[in-house]
Amino acid sequence: MDPLQKIYRLLLFIIIGLLALEILPFLSSIIGMLIFSFLFTTIFLQGVDSIERYTRSRALGVFLILSTTILAGVVFIGSFISNLGSQIKLFTRKIQRDDFANSIENLSSNTREALPDFIANLIPESEKVILMAKNLMVGVFQSILSILGSAGNLFFIAFMVLIFTIILLIEYHDFKRSLVRFMPNKYLEVGLRMIYNIELQISKYLRGQILAASSVAILSILGLFILNQLGANITLAVFIGIIAGLANLIPMVGPFIGMIPAILIALMNNIGNEVALNHQIFGAIPSPFYVLDIIIMFIIVQQIDNNFITPLVVGESVGLHPMAVMLVLLIGGTLIGPLGMLFAIPVAGVLKVVITEIVFITKNSHLL
Amino acid sequence: MKALYHNYFKKGNDRNPVLKVLESVPIFENLTEKELSEVARLTHERTYKKDEDVFKKLSPAEGMYVILDGQVSIIDPDSETIFATLESGDFFGELALLDEEPRSASAVAKIPSRLIGFFRTDLLTLMKRSPELGNKILLNLSRVLGERLRKTNQELAKPNH
Repeated sequence: MDPLQKIYRLLLFIIIGLLALEILPFLSSIIGMLIFSFLFTTIFLQGVDSIERYTRSRALGVFLILSTTILAGVVFIGSFISNLGSQIKLFTRKIQRDDFANSIENLSSNTREALPDFIANLIPESEKVILMAKNLMVGVFQSILSILGSAGNLFFIAFMVLIFTIILLIEYHDFKRSLVRFMPNKYLEVGLRMIYNIELQISKYLRGQILAASSVAILSILGLFILNQLGANITLAVFIGIIAGLANLIPMVGPFIGMIPAILIALMNNIGNEVALNHQIFGAIPSPFYVLDIIIMFIIVQQIDNNFITPLVVGESVGLHPMAVMLVLLIGGTLIGPLGMLFAIPVAGVLKVVITEIVFITKNSHLL
Repeated sequence: MKALYHNYFKKGNDRNPVLKVLESVPIFENLTEKELSEVARLTHERTYKKDEDVFKKLSPAEGMYVILDGQVSIIDPDSETIFATLESGDFFGELALLDEEPRSASAVAKIPSRLIGFFRTDLLTLMKRSPELGNKILLNLSRVLGERLRKTNQELAKPNH
Protein backbone atom coordinates (compact mmCIF):
# COMPACT_ATOMS: atom_id res chain seq x y z
CA MET A 1 0.00 0.00 0.00
CA ASP A 2 1.52 3.37 -0.99
CA PRO A 3 1.77 6.18 1.60
CA LEU A 4 -1.00 8.28 0.02
CA GLN A 5 -3.39 5.33 0.17
CA LYS A 6 -2.44 4.83 3.83
CA ILE A 7 -3.26 8.49 4.59
CA TYR A 8 -6.63 8.20 2.79
CA ARG A 9 -7.39 5.06 4.76
CA LEU A 10 -6.47 6.76 8.04
CA LEU A 11 -8.66 9.76 7.15
CA LEU A 12 -11.54 7.42 6.33
CA PHE A 13 -11.15 5.70 9.71
CA ILE A 14 -11.09 9.07 11.50
CA ILE A 15 -14.25 10.24 9.68
CA ILE A 16 -16.03 6.94 10.43
CA GLY A 17 -14.90 7.20 14.08
CA LEU A 18 -16.18 10.78 14.42
CA LEU A 19 -19.49 9.86 12.78
CA ALA A 20 -19.82 6.89 15.12
CA LEU A 21 -19.19 9.18 18.11
CA GLU A 22 -21.92 11.55 16.84
CA ILE A 23 -24.42 8.78 16.22
CA LEU A 24 -23.56 6.76 19.35
CA PRO A 25 -25.75 8.72 21.81
CA PHE A 26 -28.79 8.08 19.59
CA LEU A 27 -27.95 4.43 19.27
CA SER A 28 -26.89 3.92 22.89
CA SER A 29 -30.32 2.71 24.07
CA ILE A 30 -30.52 0.22 21.19
CA ILE A 31 -26.95 -0.93 21.88
CA GLY A 32 -27.87 -1.29 25.56
CA MET A 33 -30.91 -3.40 24.64
CA LEU A 34 -28.76 -5.57 22.36
CA ILE A 35 -26.16 -6.06 25.11
CA PHE A 36 -28.87 -7.15 27.54
CA SER A 37 -30.39 -9.46 24.91
CA PHE A 38 -26.97 -10.96 24.24
CA LEU A 39 -26.41 -11.54 27.96
CA PHE A 40 -29.83 -13.18 28.36
CA THR A 41 -29.11 -15.26 25.26
CA THR A 42 -25.85 -16.45 26.81
CA ILE A 43 -27.63 -17.33 30.06
CA PHE A 44 -30.44 -19.25 28.36
CA LEU A 45 -28.51 -20.73 25.42
CA GLN A 46 -27.51 -23.93 27.14
CA GLY A 47 -31.04 -24.49 28.44
CA VAL A 48 -32.50 -23.98 24.95
CA ASP A 49 -29.88 -26.31 23.44
CA SER A 50 -30.75 -28.97 26.04
CA ILE A 51 -34.51 -28.74 25.40
CA GLU A 52 -33.88 -28.81 21.65
CA ARG A 53 -31.96 -32.05 22.20
CA TYR A 54 -35.08 -33.74 23.63
CA THR A 55 -37.90 -32.05 21.72
CA ARG A 56 -36.04 -31.60 18.41
CA SER A 57 -37.61 -28.13 18.25
CA ARG A 58 -35.58 -25.03 19.02
CA ALA A 59 -38.60 -22.73 19.00
CA LEU A 60 -40.29 -24.88 21.68
CA GLY A 61 -37.13 -24.70 23.78
CA VAL A 62 -37.02 -20.91 23.51
CA PHE A 63 -40.76 -20.70 24.34
CA LEU A 64 -40.49 -22.96 27.40
CA ILE A 65 -37.39 -21.28 28.85
CA LEU A 66 -38.56 -17.70 28.28
CA SER A 67 -42.18 -18.23 29.38
CA THR A 68 -41.02 -19.88 32.63
CA THR A 69 -38.58 -17.03 33.31
CA ILE A 70 -41.14 -14.32 32.50
CA LEU A 71 -43.78 -16.02 34.66
CA ALA A 72 -41.36 -16.25 37.59
CA GLY A 73 -40.36 -12.59 37.09
CA VAL A 74 -43.99 -11.38 36.92
CA VAL A 75 -44.95 -13.35 40.05
CA PHE A 76 -41.90 -11.98 41.90
CA ILE A 77 -42.34 -8.33 40.88
CA GLY A 78 -46.13 -8.45 41.32
CA SER A 79 -46.05 -9.86 44.83
CA PHE A 80 -43.10 -7.61 45.74
CA ILE A 81 -45.00 -4.47 44.69
CA SER A 82 -48.17 -5.50 46.52
CA ASN A 83 -46.24 -6.42 49.68
CA LEU A 84 -44.19 -3.24 49.53
CA GLY A 85 -47.39 -1.23 49.06
CA SER A 86 -48.95 -2.60 52.25
CA GLN A 87 -45.64 -2.11 54.07
CA ILE A 88 -45.53 1.56 53.00
CA LYS A 89 -49.17 2.03 54.00
CA LEU A 90 -48.47 0.63 57.47
CA PHE A 91 -45.42 2.81 57.85
CA THR A 92 -47.11 6.05 56.77
CA ARG A 93 -49.83 5.36 59.34
CA LYS A 94 -47.11 4.82 61.92
CA ILE A 95 -45.24 8.07 61.24
CA GLN A 96 -48.45 10.07 61.53
CA ARG A 97 -48.64 8.95 65.16
CA ASP A 98 -46.79 10.69 67.97
CA ASP A 99 -44.77 7.64 68.98
CA PHE A 100 -42.67 8.05 65.82
CA ALA A 101 -41.54 11.46 67.12
CA ASN A 102 -41.02 9.96 70.60
CA SER A 103 -39.03 7.11 69.18
CA ILE A 104 -36.72 9.42 67.24
CA GLU A 105 -36.36 11.62 70.32
CA ASN A 106 -35.47 8.57 72.43
CA LEU A 107 -32.94 7.43 69.87
CA SER A 108 -31.39 10.89 69.75
CA SER A 109 -31.14 11.24 73.53
CA ASN A 110 -29.87 7.66 73.99
CA THR A 111 -27.14 8.28 71.45
CA ARG A 112 -26.22 11.59 73.13
CA GLU A 113 -25.90 9.85 76.48
CA ALA A 114 -23.79 7.04 75.07
CA LEU A 115 -21.31 9.30 73.30
CA PRO A 116 -18.67 11.66 74.74
CA ASP A 117 -19.83 15.28 75.04
CA PHE A 118 -17.77 16.75 72.22
CA ILE A 119 -19.28 14.27 69.70
CA ALA A 120 -22.77 14.40 71.27
CA ASN A 121 -22.85 18.17 70.70
CA LEU A 122 -22.44 17.52 66.99
CA ILE A 123 -25.75 15.57 66.91
CA PRO A 124 -28.60 17.95 66.03
CA GLU A 125 -31.61 18.61 68.27
CA SER A 126 -34.33 15.96 68.23
CA GLU A 127 -36.80 18.22 66.31
CA LYS A 128 -34.25 18.62 63.56
CA VAL A 129 -33.60 14.85 63.54
CA ILE A 130 -37.36 14.17 63.24
CA LEU A 131 -37.60 16.61 60.35
CA MET A 132 -34.56 15.08 58.68
CA ALA A 133 -35.91 11.53 59.15
CA LYS A 134 -39.31 12.51 57.75
CA ASN A 135 -37.68 14.23 54.76
CA LEU A 136 -35.47 11.20 54.19
CA MET A 137 -38.44 8.83 54.24
CA VAL A 138 -40.45 11.08 51.91
CA GLY A 139 -37.42 11.16 49.59
CA VAL A 140 -37.14 7.35 49.57
CA PHE A 141 -40.84 6.92 48.76
CA GLN A 142 -40.71 9.58 46.07
CA SER A 143 -37.83 7.77 44.38
CA ILE A 144 -39.76 4.49 44.55
CA LEU A 145 -42.78 6.24 43.00
CA SER A 146 -40.67 7.80 40.24
CA ILE A 147 -39.21 4.38 39.42
CA LEU A 148 -42.74 2.97 39.21
CA GLY A 149 -43.73 6.02 37.10
CA SER A 150 -41.11 5.19 34.52
CA ALA A 151 -42.48 1.64 34.33
CA GLY A 152 -44.07 2.45 30.95
CA ASN A 153 -40.68 3.17 29.42
CA LEU A 154 -39.21 0.14 31.22
CA PHE A 155 -41.97 -2.04 29.81
CA PHE A 156 -41.10 -0.94 26.26
CA ILE A 157 -37.38 -1.65 26.84
CA ALA A 158 -38.18 -5.04 28.40
CA PHE A 159 -40.43 -5.90 25.44
CA MET A 160 -37.72 -4.99 22.92
CA VAL A 161 -35.08 -6.94 24.90
CA LEU A 162 -37.46 -9.93 24.89
CA ILE A 163 -37.93 -9.74 21.10
CA PHE A 164 -34.17 -9.45 20.50
CA THR A 165 -33.52 -12.34 22.91
CA ILE A 166 -36.06 -14.59 21.15
CA ILE A 167 -34.50 -13.86 17.75
CA LEU A 168 -30.95 -14.34 19.06
CA LEU A 169 -31.82 -17.59 20.85
CA ILE A 170 -33.54 -19.10 17.81
CA GLU A 171 -30.98 -17.94 15.27
CA TYR A 172 -27.87 -17.97 17.48
CA HIS A 173 -25.89 -20.67 15.67
CA ASP A 174 -26.83 -19.28 12.24
CA PHE A 175 -25.83 -15.77 13.32
CA LYS A 176 -22.47 -17.09 14.40
CA ARG A 177 -22.01 -18.80 11.05
CA SER A 178 -22.87 -15.58 9.21
CA LEU A 179 -20.31 -13.73 11.31
CA VAL A 180 -17.64 -16.30 10.44
CA ARG A 181 -18.45 -15.84 6.72
CA PHE A 182 -16.98 -12.31 6.86
CA MET A 183 -13.66 -13.48 8.29
CA PRO A 184 -10.70 -13.60 5.89
CA ASN A 185 -9.42 -17.15 5.25
CA LYS A 186 -6.15 -16.27 6.94
CA TYR A 187 -7.81 -15.57 10.29
CA LEU A 188 -10.59 -18.18 10.05
CA GLU A 189 -9.28 -20.70 12.55
CA VAL A 190 -7.92 -18.14 15.01
CA GLY A 191 -11.20 -16.20 14.73
CA LEU A 192 -13.25 -19.30 15.46
CA ARG A 193 -11.12 -20.04 18.48
CA MET A 194 -11.56 -16.45 19.69
CA ILE A 195 -15.37 -16.60 19.33
CA TYR A 196 -15.44 -19.93 21.17
CA ASN A 197 -13.25 -18.62 24.01
CA ILE A 198 -15.33 -15.44 24.36
CA GLU A 199 -18.53 -17.51 24.53
CA LEU A 200 -16.95 -19.81 27.08
CA GLN A 201 -15.69 -16.89 29.17
CA ILE A 202 -19.05 -15.11 29.27
CA SER A 203 -21.18 -18.18 29.90
CA LYS A 204 -18.81 -19.46 32.62
CA TYR A 205 -18.87 -16.07 34.32
CA LEU A 206 -22.63 -15.62 34.05
CA ARG A 207 -23.52 -19.10 35.24
CA GLY A 208 -21.07 -18.79 38.13
CA GLN A 209 -22.50 -15.42 39.08
CA ILE A 210 -26.08 -16.68 38.93
CA LEU A 211 -25.20 -19.65 41.16
CA ALA A 212 -23.35 -17.37 43.61
CA ALA A 213 -26.26 -14.89 43.60
CA SER A 214 -28.76 -17.68 44.28
CA SER A 215 -26.72 -18.98 47.19
CA VAL A 216 -26.34 -15.45 48.64
CA ALA A 217 -30.12 -15.02 48.32
CA ILE A 218 -30.81 -18.31 50.13
CA LEU A 219 -28.23 -17.60 52.87
CA SER A 220 -29.60 -14.07 53.37
CA ILE A 221 -33.17 -15.39 53.69
CA LEU A 222 -31.93 -17.95 56.25
CA GLY A 223 -30.03 -15.23 58.13
CA LEU A 224 -33.04 -12.92 58.19
CA PHE A 225 -35.21 -15.82 59.37
CA ILE A 226 -32.78 -16.42 62.27
CA LEU A 227 -32.78 -12.68 63.13
CA ASN A 228 -36.59 -12.73 63.09
CA GLN A 229 -36.51 -15.61 65.56
CA LEU A 230 -34.46 -13.30 67.80
CA GLY A 231 -37.16 -10.63 67.48
CA ALA A 232 -35.86 -8.45 64.62
CA ASN A 233 -39.32 -8.25 62.97
CA ILE A 234 -38.00 -7.96 59.38
CA THR A 235 -40.85 -8.58 56.98
CA LEU A 236 -40.42 -9.25 53.22
CA ALA A 237 -37.42 -11.46 54.09
CA VAL A 238 -37.70 -13.49 50.86
CA PHE A 239 -37.72 -10.34 48.73
CA ILE A 240 -34.84 -8.79 50.67
CA GLY A 241 -32.87 -12.02 50.22
CA ILE A 242 -33.50 -12.04 46.46
CA ILE A 243 -32.56 -8.35 46.19
CA ALA A 244 -29.35 -9.07 48.15
CA GLY A 245 -28.61 -11.96 45.76
CA LEU A 246 -29.19 -9.76 42.71
CA ALA A 247 -27.12 -6.92 44.19
CA ASN A 248 -24.36 -9.46 44.70
CA LEU A 249 -23.97 -9.55 40.89
CA ILE A 250 -22.15 -6.21 41.26
CA PRO A 251 -18.83 -7.23 42.80
CA MET A 252 -17.55 -5.50 45.95
CA VAL A 253 -20.29 -2.81 46.17
CA GLY A 254 -23.24 -5.16 45.72
CA PRO A 255 -23.20 -6.73 49.19
CA PHE A 256 -23.56 -3.28 50.80
CA ILE A 257 -26.48 -2.43 48.50
CA GLY A 258 -28.06 -5.71 49.62
CA MET A 259 -28.04 -4.58 53.28
CA ILE A 260 -29.97 -1.36 52.66
CA PRO A 261 -33.51 -2.78 52.15
CA ALA A 262 -33.10 -5.01 55.23
CA ILE A 263 -32.04 -2.05 57.39
CA LEU A 264 -34.84 0.14 55.98
CA ILE A 265 -37.51 -2.49 56.65
CA ALA A 266 -36.14 -3.11 60.17
CA LEU A 267 -36.33 0.64 60.87
CA MET A 268 -39.83 0.91 59.40
CA ASN A 269 -41.16 -2.04 61.39
CA ASN A 270 -39.45 -1.32 64.70
CA ILE A 271 -39.83 2.43 65.08
CA GLY A 272 -41.79 3.07 68.26
CA ASN A 273 -40.73 -0.27 69.71
CA GLU A 274 -38.76 0.35 72.91
CA VAL A 275 -37.34 -3.20 73.04
CA ALA A 276 -35.97 -2.95 69.50
CA LEU A 277 -34.58 0.50 70.22
CA ASN A 278 -32.65 -0.69 73.25
CA HIS A 279 -31.59 -4.02 71.68
CA GLN A 280 -28.03 -5.08 72.43
CA ILE A 281 -25.97 -7.86 70.87
CA PHE A 282 -24.97 -10.37 73.60
CA GLY A 283 -26.37 -7.84 76.08
CA ALA A 284 -23.30 -5.65 75.61
CA ILE A 285 -23.04 -4.01 72.17
CA PRO A 286 -25.91 -1.58 71.44
CA SER A 287 -27.67 -2.35 68.17
CA PRO A 288 -30.78 -0.14 67.92
CA PHE A 289 -33.47 -1.59 65.63
CA TYR A 290 -31.20 -4.63 65.04
CA VAL A 291 -29.16 -2.58 62.53
CA LEU A 292 -25.82 -3.96 63.69
CA ASP A 293 -27.25 -7.51 63.74
CA ILE A 294 -28.30 -7.10 60.12
CA ILE A 295 -24.89 -5.71 59.11
CA ILE A 296 -23.08 -8.59 60.87
CA MET A 297 -25.44 -11.14 59.31
CA PHE A 298 -24.75 -9.81 55.81
CA ILE A 299 -21.00 -9.72 56.48
CA ILE A 300 -21.16 -13.39 57.54
CA VAL A 301 -23.12 -14.24 54.37
CA GLN A 302 -20.52 -12.37 52.31
CA GLN A 303 -17.68 -14.21 54.00
CA ILE A 304 -19.33 -17.59 53.31
CA ASP A 305 -19.90 -16.50 49.71
CA ASN A 306 -16.40 -15.13 49.16
CA ASN A 307 -14.53 -17.97 50.83
CA PHE A 308 -16.59 -21.04 50.00
CA ILE A 309 -19.27 -20.53 47.37
CA THR A 310 -17.66 -18.18 44.83
CA PRO A 311 -14.33 -20.05 44.64
CA LEU A 312 -16.32 -23.25 44.15
CA VAL A 313 -18.84 -22.12 41.51
CA VAL A 314 -17.17 -19.16 39.83
CA GLY A 315 -13.54 -20.15 40.40
CA GLU A 316 -11.12 -18.15 38.37
CA SER A 317 -13.77 -17.67 35.74
CA VAL A 318 -12.31 -14.50 34.27
CA GLY A 319 -8.82 -14.95 35.62
CA LEU A 320 -8.34 -11.28 36.48
CA HIS A 321 -6.09 -10.06 39.28
CA PRO A 322 -8.09 -8.59 42.25
CA MET A 323 -6.39 -5.24 41.63
CA ALA A 324 -7.50 -5.35 37.98
CA VAL A 325 -11.04 -6.23 39.13
CA MET A 326 -11.14 -3.12 41.35
CA LEU A 327 -9.76 -0.91 38.60
CA VAL A 328 -12.18 -2.28 36.02
CA LEU A 329 -15.09 -1.76 38.44
CA LEU A 330 -14.06 1.84 39.05
CA ILE A 331 -13.81 2.53 35.32
CA GLY A 332 -17.19 0.86 34.64
CA GLY A 333 -18.83 2.71 37.52
CA THR A 334 -17.41 6.09 36.46
CA LEU A 335 -18.38 5.65 32.82
CA ILE A 336 -21.90 4.21 33.05
CA GLY A 337 -22.75 3.98 36.77
CA PRO A 338 -24.16 0.84 38.46
CA LEU A 339 -24.84 -0.83 35.09
CA GLY A 340 -21.21 -0.24 34.17
CA MET A 341 -20.17 -2.01 37.37
CA LEU A 342 -22.44 -4.93 36.55
CA PHE A 343 -20.93 -5.38 33.09
CA ALA A 344 -17.36 -4.33 33.92
CA ILE A 345 -16.03 -7.79 34.81
CA PRO A 346 -17.49 -9.79 31.89
CA VAL A 347 -16.46 -7.03 29.45
CA ALA A 348 -12.94 -7.07 30.90
CA GLY A 349 -12.95 -10.87 30.58
CA VAL A 350 -13.91 -10.62 26.90
CA LEU A 351 -11.27 -7.94 26.30
CA LYS A 352 -8.71 -10.21 27.94
CA VAL A 353 -9.58 -13.04 25.50
CA VAL A 354 -9.47 -10.65 22.51
CA ILE A 355 -6.12 -9.15 23.59
CA THR A 356 -4.64 -12.62 24.23
CA GLU A 357 -5.68 -13.72 20.72
CA ILE A 358 -4.39 -10.50 19.12
CA VAL A 359 -1.04 -10.94 20.89
CA PHE A 360 -0.98 -14.55 19.68
CA ILE A 361 -1.76 -13.46 16.10
CA THR A 362 0.93 -10.76 16.18
CA LYS A 363 3.52 -13.17 17.58
CA ASN A 364 2.63 -15.94 15.14
CA SER A 365 1.71 -13.86 12.10
CA HIS A 366 4.19 -15.85 10.00
CA LEU A 367 2.09 -18.95 10.69
CA LEU A 368 -1.20 -17.49 9.44
CA MET B 1 -47.45 -26.88 -12.76
CA LYS B 2 -44.32 -28.74 -13.71
CA ALA B 3 -42.22 -26.06 -12.08
CA LEU B 4 -44.35 -26.26 -8.93
CA TYR B 5 -43.91 -30.05 -8.80
CA HIS B 6 -40.20 -29.67 -9.40
CA ASN B 7 -39.79 -27.04 -6.68
CA TYR B 8 -41.80 -28.68 -3.98
CA PHE B 9 -41.69 -32.44 -4.53
CA LYS B 10 -38.62 -33.35 -6.53
CA LYS B 11 -36.04 -32.03 -4.15
CA GLY B 12 -33.87 -35.12 -4.49
CA ASN B 13 -32.64 -34.24 -7.95
CA ASP B 14 -31.03 -30.92 -7.13
CA ARG B 15 -29.78 -31.84 -3.69
CA ASN B 16 -27.54 -29.42 -1.83
CA PRO B 17 -23.99 -30.09 -3.15
CA VAL B 18 -22.62 -29.69 0.39
CA LEU B 19 -24.81 -32.60 1.55
CA LYS B 20 -23.70 -34.68 -1.41
CA VAL B 21 -20.01 -34.18 -0.60
CA LEU B 22 -20.45 -34.59 3.15
CA GLU B 23 -22.15 -37.97 2.82
CA SER B 24 -19.16 -39.29 0.86
CA VAL B 25 -16.80 -38.45 3.74
CA PRO B 26 -16.20 -41.48 6.03
CA ILE B 27 -16.47 -39.24 9.13
CA PHE B 28 -20.11 -38.52 8.25
CA GLU B 29 -20.93 -42.11 7.25
CA ASN B 30 -24.22 -43.72 8.35
CA LEU B 31 -25.81 -40.37 9.08
CA THR B 32 -29.48 -39.90 8.16
CA GLU B 33 -30.50 -37.13 5.76
CA LYS B 34 -31.72 -35.04 8.71
CA GLU B 35 -28.47 -35.54 10.62
CA LEU B 36 -26.43 -34.64 7.56
CA SER B 37 -28.45 -31.43 7.19
CA GLU B 38 -27.77 -30.65 10.83
CA VAL B 39 -24.03 -31.08 10.24
CA ALA B 40 -24.23 -29.02 7.03
CA ARG B 41 -25.89 -26.19 8.99
CA LEU B 42 -22.80 -25.97 11.19
CA THR B 43 -20.16 -26.15 8.48
CA HIS B 44 -18.49 -23.16 6.83
CA GLU B 45 -18.14 -22.91 3.07
CA ARG B 46 -14.92 -21.11 2.07
CA THR B 47 -13.42 -20.08 -1.25
CA TYR B 48 -9.64 -20.12 -1.85
CA LYS B 49 -7.68 -18.55 -4.68
CA LYS B 50 -4.98 -20.42 -6.59
CA ASP B 51 -1.87 -20.90 -4.37
CA GLU B 52 -3.65 -19.54 -1.29
CA ASP B 53 -2.77 -21.25 1.97
CA VAL B 54 -5.62 -23.12 3.63
CA PHE B 55 -3.37 -23.44 6.65
CA LYS B 56 0.36 -23.31 7.32
CA LYS B 57 2.60 -25.83 9.07
CA LEU B 58 2.73 -25.22 12.87
CA SER B 59 -0.29 -22.89 12.80
CA PRO B 60 -2.99 -23.51 15.46
CA ALA B 61 -5.28 -26.31 14.29
CA GLU B 62 -9.02 -25.96 14.75
CA GLY B 63 -10.64 -28.44 12.40
CA MET B 64 -10.94 -30.37 9.15
CA TYR B 65 -11.73 -29.44 5.56
CA VAL B 66 -13.65 -31.28 2.86
CA ILE B 67 -12.99 -30.31 -0.77
CA LEU B 68 -16.25 -29.29 -2.46
CA ASP B 69 -14.47 -28.57 -5.72
CA GLY B 70 -10.87 -27.77 -6.63
CA GLN B 71 -7.52 -29.23 -5.68
CA VAL B 72 -5.47 -28.97 -2.48
CA SER B 73 -1.89 -30.10 -1.87
CA ILE B 74 -0.61 -31.16 1.52
CA ILE B 75 3.05 -30.17 1.65
CA ASP B 76 5.98 -29.81 3.97
CA PRO B 77 7.23 -26.27 3.31
CA ASP B 78 10.68 -27.01 4.78
CA SER B 79 11.56 -29.92 2.52
CA GLU B 80 9.03 -28.92 -0.16
CA THR B 81 7.77 -32.51 -0.17
CA ILE B 82 4.24 -32.98 -1.48
CA PHE B 83 2.55 -35.58 0.73
CA ALA B 84 -0.70 -35.71 -1.21
CA THR B 85 -2.79 -33.87 -3.76
CA LEU B 86 -6.46 -34.04 -2.84
CA GLU B 87 -9.53 -33.45 -4.98
CA SER B 88 -13.27 -33.02 -4.75
CA GLY B 89 -14.76 -35.23 -2.01
CA ASP B 90 -11.41 -35.68 -0.21
CA PHE B 91 -10.86 -34.42 3.32
CA PHE B 92 -7.87 -33.38 5.43
CA GLY B 93 -6.94 -31.98 8.85
CA GLU B 94 -9.41 -34.23 10.71
CA LEU B 95 -6.93 -34.85 13.57
CA ALA B 96 -7.51 -31.24 14.67
CA LEU B 97 -11.08 -32.19 15.64
CA LEU B 98 -9.61 -34.14 18.54
CA ASP B 99 -6.41 -32.44 19.65
CA GLU B 100 -5.08 -28.91 19.82
CA GLU B 101 -1.60 -29.65 18.46
CA PRO B 102 -0.32 -27.32 15.69
CA ARG B 103 -0.64 -28.40 12.05
CA SER B 104 2.03 -30.90 11.01
CA ALA B 105 2.00 -29.81 7.33
CA SER B 106 0.74 -26.98 5.13
CA ALA B 107 -2.31 -27.14 2.86
CA VAL B 108 -2.32 -25.04 -0.32
CA ALA B 109 -5.08 -24.64 -2.92
CA LYS B 110 -3.51 -25.64 -6.26
CA ILE B 111 -6.40 -24.21 -8.28
CA PRO B 112 -9.31 -21.96 -7.21
CA SER B 113 -11.13 -24.21 -4.72
CA ARG B 114 -14.24 -24.34 -2.58
CA LEU B 115 -13.82 -26.09 0.76
CA ILE B 116 -16.18 -26.98 3.58
CA GLY B 117 -14.72 -26.35 7.03
CA PHE B 118 -15.90 -28.41 9.99
CA PHE B 119 -14.23 -27.24 13.17
CA ARG B 120 -13.72 -28.47 16.72
CA THR B 121 -16.05 -25.79 18.06
CA ASP B 122 -18.75 -27.04 15.63
CA LEU B 123 -18.26 -30.61 16.87
CA LEU B 124 -18.46 -29.43 20.49
CA THR B 125 -21.68 -27.51 19.70
CA LEU B 126 -23.08 -30.59 18.00
CA MET B 127 -22.19 -32.78 20.97
CA LYS B 128 -24.07 -30.37 23.22
CA ARG B 129 -27.11 -29.93 21.00
CA SER B 130 -27.36 -33.45 19.69
CA PRO B 131 -25.14 -35.88 21.63
CA GLU B 132 -26.34 -38.90 19.65
CA LEU B 133 -25.18 -37.34 16.39
CA GLY B 134 -21.98 -36.09 18.03
CA ASN B 135 -21.22 -39.62 19.21
CA LYS B 136 -21.82 -41.05 15.73
CA ILE B 137 -19.33 -38.58 14.26
CA LEU B 138 -16.78 -39.29 17.00
CA LEU B 139 -17.13 -43.02 16.43
CA ASN B 140 -16.62 -42.57 12.68
CA LEU B 141 -13.64 -40.33 13.34
CA SER B 142 -12.09 -42.96 15.65
CA ARG B 143 -12.68 -45.57 12.96
CA VAL B 144 -10.89 -43.43 10.34
CA LEU B 145 -7.97 -42.74 12.66
CA GLY B 146 -7.79 -46.42 13.73
CA GLU B 147 -7.71 -47.51 10.12
CA ARG B 148 -4.91 -45.07 9.38
CA LEU B 149 -2.94 -46.33 12.40
CA ARG B 150 -3.36 -49.92 11.23
CA LYS B 151 -2.09 -48.98 7.76
CA THR B 152 0.91 -47.18 9.28
CA ASN B 153 1.68 -50.25 11.40
CA GLN B 154 1.50 -52.49 8.34
CA GLU B 155 3.82 -50.11 6.46
CA LEU B 156 6.29 -50.17 9.35
CA ALA B 157 6.11 -53.96 9.58
CA LYS B 158 7.13 -54.34 5.93
CA PRO B 159 10.66 -55.87 5.59
CA ASN B 160 12.26 -52.82 3.94
CA HIS B 161 11.50 -50.64 7.03
